[in-house]
Amino acid sequence: MFDVEKAFGTKQVLKGFTLTINEGETLSIIGGSGSGKSVALKHIVGLLRPDRGEVYVDDENVSRLDQESLYGLRRNVGFVFQAAALFDSMTIAENVGMGLRRVRDTSDEAIDQRVAECLHLVDLEGYEQRLPSELSGGQRKRAGFARAIATRPKYMLYDEPTTGLDPVTTAVIDELIVRMSDELGVTGVVITHDMKSAFRISDRVAMLYDGGIRFEGTPDELRMCEDPVVKGFIEGRPKLMGLAP
Amino acid sequence: MPYMVEATRAIGRTTLRTVAAVGRFGYLAVDAARALRKGSLWAPHLLGQMAKIGVDSVPIALFVALFTGVVLALQASYTFTGAVPLYFVGGLVSKTMLLELGPVLTGLALSGRVGANIAAEVGAMRVTEQIDALETLAYDPVAYLVVPRVIAGAIMFPVVVILADALGIAAGLGTAMVSLDMSSFEFLKGVRLFFTPWDVWFSVIKSVSFGVTVTSVGCFFGFHTTGGAEGVGRATTRAVVVSTMIILALDAFWAATLLQ
Repeated sequence: MFDVEKAFGTKQVLKGFTLTINEGETLSIIGGSGSGKSVALKHIVGLLRPDRGEVYVDDENVSRLDQESLYGLRRNVGFVFQAAALFDSMTIAENVGMGLRRVRDTSDEAIDQRVAECLHLVDLEGYEQRLPSELSGGQRKRAGFARAIATRPKYMLYDEPTTGLDPVTTAVIDELIVRMSDELGVTGVVITHDMKSAFRISDRVAMLYDGGIRFEGTPDELRMCEDPVVKGFIEGRPKLMGLAP
Repeated sequence: MPYMVEATRAIGRTTLRTVAAVGRFGYLAVDAARALRKGSLWAPHLLGQMAKIGVDSVPIALFVALFTGVVLALQASYTFTGAVPLYFVGGLVSKTMLLELGPVLTGLALSGRVGANIAAEVGAMRVTEQIDALETLAYDPVAYLVVPRVIAGAIMFPVVVILADALGIAAGLGTAMVSLDMSSFEFLKGVRLFFTPWDVWFSVIKSVSFGVTVTSVGCFFGFHTTGGAEGVGRATTRAVVVSTMIILALDAFWAATLLQ
């Protein structure tokens, strides 16, 4: 993403946001609530278009793609939403199979088999015929994860995948993210507030602050960073960031 | 003076918002027209939407039509007493049901039932990111959500309206026989005297336009919902208010253009 600017009404959210994500790595974007992390993530799949600047995926300028090319690009991207965004009226199996139904020449048997695999991976076997409303928050997140990986995407985008989850479920999700990267070579971008998770899963971490990138580096570099804003954020010390009296 | 400035600003802001909304509605209409060719996305949902929009609306439409027919017959006899032959009651009931009250009252009732339902459903999908999820799964949300609803509205509103027209006339007939001491022959004589097949076509044309209006306005406000549960409530209210206003404007438009 190069020099991206995005405003909603009078609120300027991204101000010259520039960030490069390398093939095969898992990059976590950290930052305070409302700092624009999800907005940045949505630019990558063209859910939002920048007011200024450019977003490239596989050398294609996402903000200039027509609708059909954009859908073509999205077939390579899995997106895990903050609140899962499962379709209320569909069963878990139908939710997980949604993306597969858009892949040409995929038989119903192949879809059923892949759905079963994905649900097994997130430990949701036996939940195929349940509705999202019958699942707990953690189970819904895992079902959302299963839906995102069903099409075997090249890129995974995770919008706060562990927020609101208990420590055990958080560890399970973290483990899945690491496996996606290590075993399948998937490139991942993770939006998170959870510093423990960020240190556990990331190859690199970027901190979004005041509409731009304040820090970019490895988890070890993040730990050693002396910038008071960065240090204050990771240590949960608002005074250090100048945010508390 | 400051009040004048503030009032002028408020009018300006409202005008700008309205023009912007009309522009966004135009974009949605163009996207929906383009999405028609993506039959594999909307066709599987068409029957379900036809049942939901049409079949499930029959009870409320018939309820409205039943009492409309009764009141029309009673008011006609009250108006005509002594001055006009009573069989004119049949003519007035049938003509008014077909040309005006059948389509308009059904349209208004369905703007509450169908329009509110669509705005709330699509709006909830918007605020819970389900529409974004559709996009990331390479589904065109306009083809998937808007097109089947609008086509179902265009097909099913006329069906519901024709049923309402028929029941309204039948209710008028029943009222005339029970309360006005008219025979069915007399009532139907009045119906036949004033009936032309064009009346039915007029009712159908109006109801198609109302069906497209209610469903597309519901989808539009649902699609542009922001702000959580409160936003869904706001979108729902706006969908009903705006589709009601458009229905009444279209009613006048069709009368002015087709009843010359």
